[in-house]
Amino acid sequence: MRGKRWWTPALAVALSAVLLTGCGSNGNTGDAQPGTAGASSGKPAQKVKLKLWGAVPAEAGPQAVVDAWNAENPDVEVEYVRYVNDDAGNLKLDTALMTGQDADLYFSYVLSRLQKRVDAGVAADLTARTDYDIDGQMGPDAAQWKINGKYYGVPTKKNMSFIWLNKNMLDEAGLPVPPLDWTWPDLEQYAAKLTKPGVYGFLQHEASFTAAIDGTIAGLGVTKADGTSNFDNPLWKQWLQINHDMMYKDKSTPEYGEQLTSKMPVDTMFLKGEAAMLNAGEFIFRNANNLKDYPHDFKIAFATIPRISADQQNYKYAGGVGDMLSVNAKSKNQEAAWKFVKWYADGGMLPMASGGRIPSSKSVDSAKAIDLLLKGVEDKYDRESLDNVVFGKFESFQLDIPQQVIDARKEEYEKYFLNKQDLDTTLKNMADRHNKLLQQK
Amino acid sequence: MGYAFILPNMLGILLFFILPALFSFGLMFTDYQFSNPNVSFTGLDNFRRLFHDEQFYGAIRHTAIFLLSVPVSLVLAFATALVLNRSVYLKGLLRGMFFLPYVSSGVAVAFVWMLLFQPTNGPINEILRGIGVASPPGWFADPDTAMYAIDVVQIWFMLGYNMIIYLAALQEISPEQLEAARIDGARTRTITWRIVWPLVSPTTFLLLVTGLIMTMKSFALIQAITQGGPGSSTTILSLYVYKTAFSYYEMGYASTISWFLFAVIMAVTVVQWIGQKRWVHY
Repeated sequence: MRGKRWWTPALAVALSAVLLTGCGSNGNTGDAQPGTAGASSGKPAQKVKLKLWGAVPAEAGPQAVVDAWNAENPDVEVEYVRYVNDDAGNLKLDTALMTGQDADLYFSYVLSRLQKRVDAGVAADLTARTDYDIDGQMGPDAAQWKINGKYYGVPTKKNMSFIWLNKNMLDEAGLPVPPLDWTWPDLEQYAAKLTKPGVYGFLQHEASFTAAIDGTIAGLGVTKADGTSNFDNPLWKQWLQINHDMMYKDKSTPEYGEQLTSKMPVDTMFLKGEAAMLNAGEFIFRNANNLKDYPHDFKIAFATIPRISADQQNYKYAGGVGDMLSVNAKSKNQEAAWKFVKWYADGGMLPMASGGRIPSSKSVDSAKAIDLLLKGVEDKYDRESLDNVVFGKFESFQLDIPQQVIDARKEEYEKYFLNKQDLDTTLKNMADRHNKLLQQK
Repeated sequence: MGYAFILPNMLGILLFFILPALFSFGLMFTDYQFSNPNVSFTGLDNFRRLFHDEQFYGAIRHTAIFLLSVPVSLVLAFATALVLNRSVYLKGLLRGMFFLPYVSSGVAVAFVWMLLFQPTNGPINEILRGIGVASPPGWFADPDTAMYAIDVVQIWFMLGYNMIIYLAALQEISPEQLEAARIDGARTRTITWRIVWPLVSPTTFLLLVTGLIMTMKSFALIQAITQGGPGSSTTILSLYVYKTAFSYYEMGYASTISWFLFAVIMAVTVVQWIGQKRWVHY
């Protein structure tokens, strides 16, 4: 009798094996051969091996950069290791750094993460290096990355956040490319006019979602004069209200819960023509320039991430410089690593330009980088707004609040956008929770 | 000689479980941060913080809702096992199908349920709208329902395992006992609740205890589906420990929360152990 149904468990096992292997494999691909560089110190004149950790997929530039370096420098071999820039990925990097595994060089993308690495003593102080003038090379925005007045890395690229516009849809609706000093109420109107069946007027990428309120708080100050939280300021209130209206009144942007649970691929949707405007950053170039996988025939124009109100003082634009390249203070090969940092910042990183990473060093001819960025896709962009917005000069900032505060803030505005909490309570809770965390420090 | 045989295993347990546990016990009384080598002894500060931490109380509430999935899953598994224990067509295939979720990868399972529960055009809400529910729930997208939606997934996930164990227990019951009851005139319902259910009570007890412990510790499912959101509505204790430790690097405080979690699990288990005398028949 038993033999009759032998195939049932076999089927179950086979299916589960497929499921298990399908999911298990992605955990291991990133970290290749642990512990190779550490063993190299014994013999003299041996090749120095460096590991560079970054969050950009190897094929989107870093591999080409590393290959070029290795060809030029036979005595120092650099290997690129990708980490994903989320909690788990950063934890992986931090663990590698603090346990002294092979991570000689690494990128930090936000100040709060770099701060932790400085606290842990795994970021070498580069201010002490006299052979490279970071301020002079990278411009005044670099100073936003200083921690206690010191540089613990070199900011290597221009950071840019802006609104991507489908110019064809704008033209159809008779809307001009918005001026640089436009505001959120303007954007709300644009979004409403651009919305039609199957097309959202406005989408936002998670990475840029809070750019406007961050830029506001950067100008106003994170705390008030008396040291309490400034999270309940009226400008934030206005921004929250506008976004809420766009979701539920105008229906020009997806309802928050929908975007949240469907993990909406906003960049793909924009490039497929399912949205007229997209709030994101330069990292979208990676896909927008890839006409094979993301074919589109419309022209893309650009606008700034607007100020919240027209009379707003001191609004700062998300941007400045980024991609902080640091040397692990515990690395055995400080000099070789430092040499790589200088080389990378002053032009070695050019292969990354086609993915939107424009070098910030003044030693790099920016025209060359822009050419690389637009090679083969010149006709897909509105050059005027590209020059004004993407390569324009704005007063910028680096967000300087701890991850815990960022998360608490997010939890509160999520409740508002999901209609579980009214606007005033949301502002009050954001400020209260911020105050609580301020007191703990 | 015997000790030599268990030595390798004991070394592993000592190294990877006992020592870290003791270490974290010590960390409870410090402000140790993963990223900060300067550690200072802070006494009971972490406990004071714990009792004033609203996020922590929220996490306890969410954990309590999550634990509801255990008894519900047990009842459903018992019913399923009863049916599958009788003559049903394709019995073997059905058993295999019910068990399949348990051996599938949690992340894959999570993804499928996210699609099913998608609020605007997921199949579940399409069906609900089709039968006339004007505004079906937002499931994972709504802080009020997210935890219960997670419960549904967890119940479905545990059903197969619980069912298999129940099936084994049902097979143990001697047919004579049931036949005798039938001859004495007992109906199916009476047999089920007065004879079968008490006879499988040791199994129920086992599944209840292990289920509660596993559920309190479970993590992957929620991390894959909601990461504790929206808001903090699905942040259960184990997830809160993870966030505190590995997003904020506050190892000291995270140790305090996890020891609290341990104390709760311990207490629940002890209470059940004492309570079992009333309803478990060996």
